[in-house]
Formats: sequence, C-alpha cells, structure tokens
Amino acid sequence: MNPNALLRRDVIGGGIAAAAVAAGLGSPALAATPLSAGEVIARMQQHIGAPWKAQGVDGFKAGDGGTVVRGIGTTMMATFDALKAAARGGLNMVITHEPTYWSHPDTLTDLQDDPLYLKKRAFLRAHDMAVFHFHDNWHALKPVDGINFGTQQLMGWTTYRHADNQRLFTLPPTTLGALAADFSEKMGARTMRVVGDPALPVRTVYESWGYCSAFPGVTFLDSADVLVIGEAQDWDLIAYVQDLVAMGEKKALIILGHVKSEQWGMRYCADWLKGFVPEVPVRFVPIIEPYWNLDDPVFEIGMQGKVA
Amino acid sequence: MEPGPAPTSSPATVATPLRQAVTARQLAGQILAAADVGAAVPATDRIVAGDPATVVTGVATVAMASIEALRAAIAKGCNLIVSYDPTFWSDGDQLGPLAGNRLLAMKRAFIDAHNLVVLDLHDGWRQGIDTGMAQALGWEAHRQTPGGLLYLLPRTTLLALARTLRASLGDRTLRVVGDPALPVERVAAIWGNARQLPTIALLNGPAEVVVCGYSHEWEAVEYAQDMIATGAGKGLILLGEAKSVDAGMQHCAAWIRTFVHAVPVVHVPAAEPYWTLPRHSRHNTSR
Repeated sequence: MNPNALLRRDVIGGGIAAAAVAAGLGSPALAATPLSAGEVIARMQQHIGAPWKAQGVDGFKAGDGGTVVRGIGTTMMATFDALKAAARGGLNMVITHEPTYWSHPDTLTDLQDDPLYLKKRAFLRAHDMAVFHFHDNWHALKPVDGINFGTQQLMGWTTYRHADNQRLFTLPPTTLGALAADFSEKMGARTMRVVGDPALPVRTVYESWGYCSAFPGVTFLDSADVLVIGEAQDWDLIAYVQDLVAMGEKKALIILGHVKSEQWGMRYCADWLKGFVPEVPVRFVPIIEPYWNLDDPVFEIGMQGKVA
Repeated sequence: MEPGPAPTSSPATVATPLRQAVTARQLAGQILAAADVGAAVPATDRIVAGDPATVVTGVATVAMASIEALRAAIAKGCNLIVSYDPTFWSDGDQLGPLAGNRLLAMKRAFIDAHNLVVLDLHDGWRQGIDTGMAQALGWEAHRQTPGGLLYLLPRTTLLALARTLRASLGDRTLRVVGDPALPVERVAAIWGNARQLPTIALLNGPAEVVVCGYSHEWEAVEYAQDMIATGAGKGLILLGEAKSVDAGMQHCAAWIRTFVHAVPVVHVPAAEPYWTLPRHSRHNTSR
C-alpha cells in the first residue's frame, strides 16, 4: 500500500550493507575515511531507483565532490538563512531542491559582480560548504516522487493515492473550504490563495506541488475536482480556472506557495539519506514562507532558528 | 471608477440610430495606431477573438478578458473588449496546445453568442499601464525622473505602504517580503510580471521597496529574502497581476475616449481571482 515505505526498508538495508561492505561499520577504518560529497551523491544515485538525470539542473552549485562532509542539511531552497542555519548546525553539505542563485539553472552570467552573489559565495567558501541542487532526480525517485511522497506524508494522504497515478488522490468527502483549511493547518501557510467556491464538494485532488503552468495544469484539471499547486502565473493557469469556475464547472485551484508546497519532500529527503549515510548527521533545514499578507504581518527572515 | 464625464452605458443610447456604424476592425486599427506600436506591431496586439466586421456598440477596457469581465462588459452594453492580458490563458494567446479544449470552445461560443470582439493591447500599452497605475496611486508627482520607475514618497513603513496599496487598489491578497516596520521612502514599480534580472537591479538600486505584480518564488523573491537576511533594508510587494495593471486599463479607457467618440468607452474593473483564509479561520501553526 505504501511503496516508499517498502523502498525505505530496502534502502536502509542496502545502505547499511553497502557501508558494511565498504568499510565495516564501527571499525576504525570507517572513522578514518572521510566522507566526501561525491560519495554521498554516488550513494544517492544508487538509491534513486531510476536512471540518474545528468542533463538537468542537478549538480554542485558550491564546493564539489571532494568536499569533506561533516554533516548534511536538506532544504527546500538554499536561501541565505538556510545556509546560515546549516552552518550553525555543523552541516556543511546542503542538499537543496530549489536554486541557490535565484534562477532554476543557477545562471551566473549576469551576476558575476552582483554584491549578493559575492556575499553568498564568500559565506559558502568560508564555511567550507558544498551545495548540491537536487531537483530533477528527487522528483524522479521510484516508486514515488520524493517531493510528492513527503507532502503526502504531511497530509496523511498516502493511502488516498491512486495506484495508477501517484499525483491523483481520492479523499473522504470534504469541501474546498475545509480542504484549504486543512492545508493551512498542516503546512502553516499564511498566504495560500484559492480559486473557486468554498462550498464546492471535493473528492478528487490532483497535485502539482511546485510551479505549474497552464500546460500541463489544464489537463490535470480534467481528472480531479481540485488541482493543488505551489505557484502559477495569474494569466495562464489561474486565469483558466477562473474562467472554468465562471462557466459553472465544479472545479477549483489551491495555490499554496512554492516553498510551502514542496518543502515536506525535503524533510523526507533527510529520512531517505539517513538510510544510507550513517557516518554523519543528516538534518532537515526548514525555511520560512517567504511572504506575509495583511492578515498577519510577521517578520521571520533572519530569525530562523533551529535545524530540525 | 471612471474619471471625467461619466460615459453613458444605457443600451438605448448605444443604439442611437444617427450614429455612423463603426466596426471592430476600424476601432482596433485606430487604437493600435494611436498606441504607436509603429511598424513593429507586436504579435500580441491584435484581435484575438470575434468577427472584426462586427459593428461596435461600446468599448470596454479590462485587465484581462476573463468570462467575468466579458459578462460585465456586456452588462454595460459594450462589445469591443480591449484586454491587457491574454484571453486564452497563455502569453500571446497561443492556441496550439488548446486544440480540442472544451473551455476554449465554450469561451469562443460565448464570445460569438454575444457578438463580442476582443483586442489584445499589451506590448503597445506597457507605458500606459505605468502612467495609469502612478496616477491611481497619486504617485505621479513623486516620480524621480520622467518615465522612470522610481518614486520618492513621504516617509512611511513597509506595512503602511502595503495597507495603502490594499486600500487604493482594492487588493485583498497582496503578499509582502520583508520587515513590516521597515522605513520606506523610495519605491520602484514593475507592474505585472517582474523578471529576475531587472528586479535584482532595482533591489540593488536606491529603492527600499520594489512593487510588482508577480515574480517567481525561486528568483527575485528568493533574492529579496537573501538581501534582507544579510541585513539590507529592502522589501518586495507582490500585488497580483490584476491589481498591478487594472488602473492602467482604467487610464486606457480615458485615453481611448480622447479619439473615439462614436461609441461609449468604459473600464470594467478587475476582480481578484482568488481568496485567502482569514487569520481567525486558520490554525496558525508554524512548522
């Protein structure tokens, strides 16, 4: 019923076995062999359960495979606050789902003299940190997308998942308003936005955690009452649902915020890594919801405290 | 919402028989020519729906030709819709991926049934959006350089500025990055979508706050967060697309009235597409 639970048992067994074969658990030899960031990535490649995608955005954005790892922090986005929290926790390898340098491919062409880029890079170097962008391959985790699985865990939805489509869920009957309140409660999302009638009866939900454009969003809406996403453009997917609702269709869209919709998948990533990286501490580094709205003006940037 | 003399919207007046019939094609041509998009007429600025030969009963300017906006325009006796944002849910109204889409067929049928014509006016009206938004906010007198994006406002705070924007624009769902108590005097505005590099440039300029419609959470939003995390006194306000351009389309109606006299020209205000959960109905857990 829960493919990733099975996978995790396999992974934990495999990880321990691999480590034991490699060095012998608890032996002096293991302690003497420093763990490299490259070795961590190699183990991730072994455990992802799918051919590793090398052509996408995944890769080192700071440090390299030779960086000696003292601890690993998984995070939704390698914000400056996330890096500071990781450094405070003694975690010098950060595995991030979203970019470090403010664009999906971390393009630096026009940022070579950018003062914030120079500061962030200097911070990373001063703390001997490696940052690995783990986007495409974490979404490709088998049997269930790592981000999707983490969010399902948070929502308690793993048993609602369709066998033939991991992004589709049939929930106990609820309403759009109640579903939105459930997301808000479980995710602590302040600025979540919703298109549709709060009284709409809801059974089926399609997920596209993270960014979703009109395509494929339009086709997702064909198979569910509600599409739930992280973010979208107002003039494509959001406008489409607005028109769909205006035409009397029983559909809705929930826009959680990108960070809020996906960071549970990076919490799960820490659990996953612990299964095959026993040598160093592995922690989830949560990040804040970037915004406030006028219902709740709070300031959290720079206030981020602990590593989970 | 309409500045100047109130345009009549009564269908009886619209149908005044002495008036010379004017077609959507004629009016669209006049509007595009006046917008001075010049020889390089952008592909977005064109009639995207309806029969150009339709006789126009009235012109309605809208932020986006949503079904709701079209219904409101019909109620005002207008059948030529001038829309800043796309009608068919994609940049430049790309219909390719929508082949066979049911909502596309429904919207087209709705447009035809009500004898509507939709003119996209986007690339040729960017400057007009800027002018209209600055006018609506009372910021024009505070603009630092002609045509520039920077305004020097009476000293305020990020929270007070956000409240002013909510009140002036009727924006319930705007989102803010930064310290509510941040002192603010200099504000830069990118109405509509704020792309990564221009927004980064503005955040590095003299403005304490950048106001925009929307920016990707993993681009300028992350950048603003990171700047603030290093101690910089900066803020970013995301108004949402509709509220960040709508006053620009109000200005568009006033502008069209200066050269279109044959039919009434009105602005149909945009509603925000989404709602938020009020604080009291949320469990304010922080995880």
